[in-house]
Amino acid sequence: MDPDAVAKAFVEHYYRTFDNNRAELGNLYQEGSMLTFEGAKTQGSQAIVAKLAGLPFQQCLHNISTVDCQPSGPGGGMLVFVSGSLQLAGEQHALKFSQMFHLIPTPQGSFYVLNDIFRLNYA
Amino acid sequence: MDPDAVAKAFVEHYYRTFDTDRAGLGNLYQDASMLTFEGAKIQGSQAIVAKLTSLPFQQCHHNISTVDCQPSGPAGGMLVFVSGTLQISGEQHALKFSQMFHLMPTPQGSFYVLNDIFRQPKGHTIH
Repeated sequence: MDPDAVAKAFVEHYYRTFDNNRAELGNLYQEGSMLTFEGAKTQGSQAIVAKLAGLPFQQCLHNISTVDCQPSGPGGGMLVFVSGSLQLAGEQHALKFSQMFHLIPTPQGSFYVLNDIFRLNYA
Repeated sequence: MDPDAVAKAFVEHYYRTFDTDRAGLGNLYQDASMLTFEGAKIQGSQAIVAKLTSLPFQQCHHNISTVDCQPSGPAGGMLVFVSGTLQISGEQHALKFSQMFHLMPTPQGSFYVLNDIFRQPKGHTIH
């Protein structure tokens, strides 16, 4: 399958899940997964979901501007680099962000997130 | 060695080389290396250096705001995620950018860049 299409499909699924029900993101991570969110490091699906579900806002909407992807090596992994803006309910201005994912194939033919790094791009 | 220290040292070396002698970046890439620069895909050290040295400015200076890193898997690779600004000489305003590197260890105990993706926020582009 076309890697760009796979990356795009993953990104849409990820942010749709994030924006609708952050707790369900747990399916996309495993025990070895790592998240660095604005410099704070978290490991493992449970702790990662706790971190994301605990962010100080109820509703949000990600608007994706760019998605770039490249294969990460012989293991079949894929690097996905996203930029966009994050609109929090009740906030006047959207926040710009950049995020990278390292996706690893699962035996079932899907992907999970091994590495996840998120940064806001301040003005 | 502390991964954060390795990432920081690499980033400093990369941007210092970029800002003083872009042609010197060739040592940091290999045949299989991939660069996506503002959406344009390039492969291999030669083609990558050709792209970077042909960017439409002579002098520039990268100011790094953040560096995050994580190990990328059993092969010993390292993911490095950078944000900062790029000041091009003669331009009034610095351009924001984000960049990710996937570093792979070399037999000599160093790293080379296997994956490189560079993006600037919409409305601030150099091609």
